[in-house]
Amino acid sequence: METIRNVARHKLRSFLTISGITIGVLALTTMGALAENFNALIDGGVAYFGSSVQVGAPDGSSAPIIPISKVDELKKVQGVAAAFPGYSFQAKPGQLNFTFGPGDQIQASDPAEFGWGAIRLTYAQGHAIDAGSQGQVVLGKTIAKEFKKKVGDTIDLPVKPPDAKPDFVNHTFTVVGILNETRTAPDSFAYINIADGQMLLKDSLPGPLKSSIDVSQITQGIAVYAKPGTSLDELDRIAARINNQVDGVKALKPSDIVNGFKQGSVVFTGVATAAAVIALIIGGLSVVNTMFMAVAERVREIGLKKAVGATTVNIMGEFLLEATFIGVVGGLLGYGLGVGIVVIRNVFFPAADGSTLFLITPTLTVIAIGFATVLGAAAGVLPAWRAASLDPVIALRNE
Amino acid sequence: MANVRLVDLTKHYKRGSEVIKALDGVTLDIDKGEFVAVVGRSGSGKTTMLDLLGLLLKPTSGSLFIDDIDTAQLGDRQRAQMRAHRVGFVFQEYNLLSGLNVLENVMLPLRYAKNGKEGRGRAIELIDRVGLSDRIKHRPTELSGGQMQRVAIARSMVNAPSLILLDEPTGAVDTETAQQLVDLLKRLNHEDQVTIVLVTHDTDISGQARRQIRLKDGRVLTDERVGEGIPVA
Repeated sequence: METIRNVARHKLRSFLTISGITIGVLALTTMGALAENFNALIDGGVAYFGSSVQVGAPDGSSAPIIPISKVDELKKVQGVAAAFPGYSFQAKPGQLNFTFGPGDQIQASDPAEFGWGAIRLTYAQGHAIDAGSQGQVVLGKTIAKEFKKKVGDTIDLPVKPPDAKPDFVNHTFTVVGILNETRTAPDSFAYINIADGQMLLKDSLPGPLKSSIDVSQITQGIAVYAKPGTSLDELDRIAARINNQVDGVKALKPSDIVNGFKQGSVVFTGVATAAAVIALIIGGLSVVNTMFMAVAERVREIGLKKAVGATTVNIMGEFLLEATFIGVVGGLLGYGLGVGIVVIRNVFFPAADGSTLFLITPTLTVIAIGFATVLGAAAGVLPAWRAASLDPVIALRNE
Repeated sequence: MANVRLVDLTKHYKRGSEVIKALDGVTLDIDKGEFVAVVGRSGSGKTTMLDLLGLLLKPTSGSLFIDDIDTAQLGDRQRAQMRAHRVGFVFQEYNLLSGLNVLENVMLPLRYAKNGKEGRGRAIELIDRVGLSDRIKHRPTELSGGQMQRVAIARSMVNAPSLILLDEPTGAVDTETAQQLVDLLKRLNHEDQVTIVLVTHDTDISGQARRQIRLKDGRVLTDERVGEGIPVA
């Protein structure tokens, strides 16, 4: 109670000091939420690429395609438990939108592959694509929201761009399922089956090739899986064995891909949080200044408290508590404002593809409020030590 | 039994190359329940003696016993505990905290003596005894000088100390109020058997103490029973 009273004693000064912390924590919360959202995407990539080996056409190939027969060859390599061909297309060709992540994509794959990936996909509505069916699609949460689709609706894929050429072709798909949010790539994916993927691949080929290439015999890439729980090192060794034993393909080392993701994450998180932390430290310096002023104003009070039995620890504790209180109040206000801005931005102003830019996590909450608290306490250490070190005889007679 | 015993108590300060003998080998006993006035000119060592008795200062040499405890053996934390439990202070300028009301000011020492629950009742009782029951929620700025000093006296007694030290407690009030404060102190001294050591320039006040110690240049010049005129030592 006395702590609150002491802080309230100089309302304007306290308001300005708390504002410094508030702005710092606000920056930390929003920048942190941006980094957390980015990291969630990265984590998805790390999880996916860290649990499979991506196999594609070798370097220098004339086209990014490989024979589908390679699937059987890959399955014979030691350590390979499963291999699935896949096709990937831009869902909105010719349209550029700023977004984190891979953007809207059409993914054609075997539904059985869902059971092998590290990212477990579950259904918010509907179900998986029916075996042997055609023209069905399962949408990730973000893409479903972007196109305002629910189960039973239809969607034309790829989406026709405004400046589409006359020969542009797309197909109508029926939405049979909508996935729960993963906060990573699958949120912006439209999943179709292999046969439909081959159809889209054929559409994408130049005219003369359409009749000469049997798309059922080629694939853009093959995802290779080892048994669940296989280490990244072992997956690297499997990739090496594939490159040694299977001609006409190139397996990427999962660790290279994962490290690339992680490096990007570290740089982004570092830049985003460093800017916020600098703002917060400046706020912390204002707490130091305020607390030194408080000590200077209360020299006689400190002398009196020592005279009536306060120990050095008591006096230090009182000033530290006051500085920490300023940090906590600033932290809570900054965090509250930050969450408010993030929620408004996510709900009312999502990205063009429907995805959100910010993610508030429990970790971020603890860091934002915890850092403000620790900063407040740390900022109070020197002033509190000065207060506790005062000679009571001199302090009591201070004018 | 001596409540306070000073044995060759000395406090020297250095000012450049000069040594100031603020207190120079003072030896005396103050018994429990005594009402002692310490008088002397400015610079005679009165305040230094009070600061030493209150454990705010450490002596250069000599010994100080309070309730038979050799304070030279105490660390800073134990000295603070002694101040909290056994010593009460009253200052000329009251030193009340402006943000606290009367009750909160009186209760301030309880915070450091860890005596909260019982202490609150004692604080209310003391406020009643100093005649400020109707001002219990008032802030210091709403009180007269005499009333503020009554609050300071109540505060000095809230932890039931055995020794109360007063530094010119009537220096900032008029004569009539000063006399009321002295009457209050005499009553508390009598009723609670608390030892009172009061530093003053005012001969009217010091003349009402049962014992008067006169200091000069850091030494005891006279130590006598007032009225009886019989030297104590």
